Amino acid sequence: MACHLTTPRKNAVHQVKLIGLDFGSTTSSAIVARASMGRSCITGRMKLGHPEILYRSFPVFTPFADGVIDESRIRRYMDQWLSESDTRLEDIFAGGTIITGLAALRSNAQALARLVSRRIGEAVIATADDPSLESWLAFMGSCSVLSRFHCDTPIINLDIGGGTTNPAIGLNGNVQSTGCYYVGARHFRFEPGSYRLQEESEFGRQLLTHLAIPLHAGEVLCPQDRDRILDFYIKALEAMVMGTYNFFDQGIGRIHEQVRFEWSCPGMMPVVTFSGGVGELIYQHAAGETLPGTTYFGDLGIDLARRVVASPVLAAGLGEFVPENRGRATVYGLALHSTDISGTTLYLPDTDMLPLRDLPILARLPLNADSEEWLRALELLHKGSCGGCVQLISELSWDPNGKPSSLAEIKAAGQRLTAVLKERPLTGKQTLVLVISDNAGKTLGSYATNWGQLPLRLIVIDEIPDRHAHFVNIGRCLNNIVPVSFYGMN
Amino acid sequence: MSSIKKIKSLDQIILPEPKPDETYCKTLLDREFVFVGLKKLLGAADFSKAGDRIAGLAADDEISREAARAILSGLTLQHLYDRPLADDRGITDSVMRVGYDIAHEVFDSIADMTFGDLKDHLLRSPDSEMKRIGPGLIPVMAAVLAKLCDVHELICLSKKVRRTTKARTRVGMPGTLSSRCQPNHPTDDLRGVALLVYLGLSEGTGDCLLGMNPAEDSVENVSAVLETLDKIRQETGVPTQICCLGHIKTQLACLEKGAPVDILFQSIAGTDRTLIDEFDVTVDYLDKAYHTMAEQGPLSGQAEQWMYFETGQGSEVSYGKHNGIDMTVCEALCYGLARRYDPFMINNVTGFIGPETHLDNFEMLISNLQDHFMGKLLGLPMGMAPCYTLHSNCTTEGQQMATQLLTAAGANFYMDVYYGMDRMLSYFDTSGHDNQTLREIYGLKPAPEYLTWAVEKGIFQVSEQGTVRRGPNWGNPRIFCNSDVEFQKLLESAPAVYGLENAGPRVANKIQRTLRANQAIAREAIHTDLRMEELDKFDVRVLRTKASSKDAHLNDPELGAHIALEDITALQPEDCDVQVLVSDGLSAEAIHHNMDELLPVLEDGLRSRGFRVSRHIIAPYGRVKLAEEVAEAVRARLVIGLIGERPGGDALASRSMSAYMTYRLDGEEEKQAAAEFSGNSDIAVEVTVISNIYAGGIPPLEAGSLIVEKTGEILENRAAGNRLATLLRDKEKRDA
Repeated sequence: MACHLTTPRKNAVHQVKLIGLDFGSTTSSAIVARASMGRSCITGRMKLGHPEILYRSFPVFTPFADGVIDESRIRRYMDQWLSESDTRLEDIFAGGTIITGLAALRSNAQALARLVSRRIGEAVIATADDPSLESWLAFMGSCSVLSRFHCDTPIINLDIGGGTTNPAIGLNGNVQSTGCYYVGARHFRFEPGSYRLQEESEFGRQLLTHLAIPLHAGEVLCPQDRDRILDFYIKALEAMVMGTYNFFDQGIGRIHEQVRFEWSCPGMMPVVTFSGGVGELIYQHAAGETLPGTTYFGDLGIDLARRVVASPVLAAGLGEFVPENRGRATVYGLALHSTDISGTTLYLPDTDMLPLRDLPILARLPLNADSEEWLRALELLHKGSCGGCVQLISELSWDPNGKPSSLAEIKAAGQRLTAVLKERPLTGKQTLVLVISDNAGKTLGSYATNWGQLPLRLIVIDEIPDRHAHFVNIGRCLNNIVPVSFYGMN
Repeated sequence: MSSIKKIKSLDQIILPEPKPDETYCKTLLDREFVFVGLKKLLGAADFSKAGDRIAGLAADDEISREAARAILSGLTLQHLYDRPLADDRGITDSVMRVGYDIAHEVFDSIADMTFGDLKDHLLRSPDSEMKRIGPGLIPVMAAVLAKLCDVHELICLSKKVRRTTKARTRVGMPGTLSSRCQPNHPTDDLRGVALLVYLGLSEGTGDCLLGMNPAEDSVENVSAVLETLDKIRQETGVPTQICCLGHIKTQLACLEKGAPVDILFQSIAGTDRTLIDEFDVTVDYLDKAYHTMAEQGPLSGQAEQWMYFETGQGSEVSYGKHNGIDMTVCEALCYGLARRYDPFMINNVTGFIGPETHLDNFEMLISNLQDHFMGKLLGLPMGMAPCYTLHSNCTTEGQQMATQLLTAAGANFYMDVYYGMDRMLSYFDTSGHDNQTLREIYGLKPAPEYLTWAVEKGIFQVSEQGTVRRGPNWGNPRIFCNSDVEFQKLLESAPAVYGLENAGPRVANKIQRTLRANQAIAREAIHTDLRMEELDKFDVRVLRTKASSKDAHLNDPELGAHIALEDITALQPEDCDVQVLVSDGLSAEAIHHNMDELLPVLEDGLRSRGFRVSRHIIAPYGRVKLAEEVAEAVRARLVIGLIGERPGGDALASRSMSAYMTYRLDGEEEKQAAAEFSGNSDIAVEVTVISNIYAGGIPPLEAGSLIVEKTGEILENRAAGNRLATLLRDKEKRDA
């Protein structure tokens, strides 16, 4: 007998385009990258691998006008970046936009996020004032690979920008805790090249009051007072990496804390790395490169960098532990780490059900959740019009090397959901999305819908790592794979 | 200076017409032995090997073998010259013809010698006599001598000859042992490839070649691999040459587009039928390729040689295209073909195919020694890759003994596969650790140009007395990366790298234990029988194949592809939609580790979708193609064949199985559509494969629903394989 045999390639690789846009306290920038989508030959999980930066914009000063972000100039920047990178919106597979630091505190920050979202398209998450996400992205964009190389050493990454310092601690490439503090270079804006104060932030003003420094716009900050300000910042940074939370418990310390950075590494002293605009300057200075003149950027960034390098606590690992993407960690993280990709055997009866944007995460349920728990989640779903997402937690959610869920567990979960959905059916265009870390999406969906016989708008996406977030975007299906991006991590 | 060899065209090579078979007789004590025809005589004179046994060419016993050897010993070289071996049509093919392109003045000087005399003469003569006589021999003569030699003689004679070749480095010089670094990667991930090259370079390998077998043989991919290898060569400054072992036509297409094809590779065979039908190349094409490289290759004018051939006993037998010629003679014919192109390197991979050609360590080892001797005698730069697969009875120890003997015999080079476990081809070869161990035992060095570079890198140190030792950077690939981050990215791109720790020239014990445990688990998966009592919980019936035992099943792939004669009538037409067929294939453990979670899902899904499903069949010792006979016998529309895959060196993956979904084409309309699509007018079935079903790939519980989904698509569209994929794609476009 003759036969016609086809064996699919073991690891067909598909290239996708990713984008990241970061609007910070001081500067804004964009990155367009290309990555290959395929199964890791080591872990067996789907991944975005071999990232290659196709385009890096020049950083521009984040435009402000009349105390708010200048939306029209932002729009022009975006058009410019898309044009310079030769990127068509329909080519973007996934990515993220984030408005951070002092920019996120402006009254139109959320509106701006929506504007960016509309402009860049459905594939990209857009969020403002999401500091934990920012800390996470900065760690991933800066030192996730370095952390995997030194897999037994905890690493704290301090992403120091204009308005905030976003610390994150990670081990073996996984972020374990994040925080956010209003410690940054641009709380005092000077005339470039001098210490003549032009403007201070709300936090800068309170710090001046606390330090009893009588400084007003138009006046020159004297070296002694500059050092006292920097002393406070250095102590704050040292408190973050030493875990001395009481520094932020009250008074001026309390004012500077947005999200507490709590961590614990019994018997181990974490290594400290840096990213963000100040991080870039720190590594330049540590490497003996000449920094621009004092207040060249019109803020305390250069002084702060010098002081960090002079701090034994902060500078201990500068020589040995050098991360990548230092100054652009967040935007790099946005482009390459804001999106997880699903496995290839998801339950998706109709690809036209996607994309789904800004889907609220209704609940994080254990795989063996009972009917009551499911019903409560469905009640929340029914309060909205379009649907929602339930994260199903199994052993693989907290331990990627853990034991996968068994057939009995998957089948029982599917059948419980069938029963609950019969009791509380979805209506209209409501879509229920289940996200699970196990590679079991198709089977779970099949049992939940009685092998497709129940007319449900159900999607089950598998092989997605557990993320603590409030919202999720699910992009279009490409080669049986969908991009999943979480945001709203505070 | 480049030296382009003048190649004689095929029609200029004179050889006698084939003659009718003659009868050769010999009496030993009171037994008379009769061999009809030279082919039978040659086959019987060799050590017994699996491939020759399956082909019916091996001697029945030791006495028969010695009788055949005695006859061969008494034949003159002229006798053999006058009787070229014909193919099954009775004519001499082009590979045989090429072997007759010899130095006739040399041959004339020895034509009247018997083979026994020639062997003694070579053993008695100075080393230079081997080199003088080789060009006057047709390949079959080299094979006869190999069959007459014992192990010491094969080594002793081989050691008399060294064949040095030159590209960027000189390979095969006295006192050297070189290596080809083989950074194969299952997905051709270029970062993973780079890591494996760095690992090899750090262990002092790759002085002969950086040469990768691509997983995908496309011009785009092979070019990308070549560019990467060349970039590594230039950035590290290592003096060596590169090669991507795609098909020769692919490589020449790459060269045409400007890719750096330093050395041109091709697998060759000892019969036209294998060379042309299976390897898709002719002698004329090889001639053309040789000249193209001479004129356009990047090393044109610099290298003295630029061709690279891979051979190894058994390919003609395994394809069933040996023309009744035994494995050793076929291999000698390969060397006759290789000799035509004055190659830079020959790599012999005897043992690669499996137990159907070489069952155990002895068979693998003796074939390697024979091949090495024949190649040397015929003037070739012989590199050796004594290798094995886990479904043979060959072992690491047997392979290591082979390398000891081959090093004593003066092999030019070995392979460097990191840890000795090929990540793409799922077989076991020599490693950089093996190369270094052998260098240290035998006091050998890498190629001189390479050694200078490696000393600069701290990989080797040279004492004032000229002794080469491992340097401070031996085994440290990090020296080739600019940062920890860069190195980590490489580390994350190559599978099965369990650590970089070494103990002297060997891997550290903890790594070795992991490797050997993986092998043991994988080997057990192959050699274990299905435990039928554990499968009783499913509603199954048992079907026997023509393989009556595990050994028969492993040693002859054809047997498991057919239903045993006594069971053929047990299957009657049932006209069901789906028949599930479970076979151990090459891993019984794959069945036992997946069935509990896969089959219930499959049953639930098929039942819920309303398909008519027959009672499952379990066929111990089954192969993939068994599904075709089963489909015909029960008249199932679709047979879902669940079968264990051949394990490699990864323990978990030894539990990997595949679902071969064999759709039986029914009715003229379907057959015509399939024939038009495939270009095969005889097409009877189409097959869709879901592979990699195991805990580290597609988990069995997920595979169950995937198979259900695919079953629906196949039966709904009445097509499978590429035709189904095309139909679905077209439908998607229409819907869009």
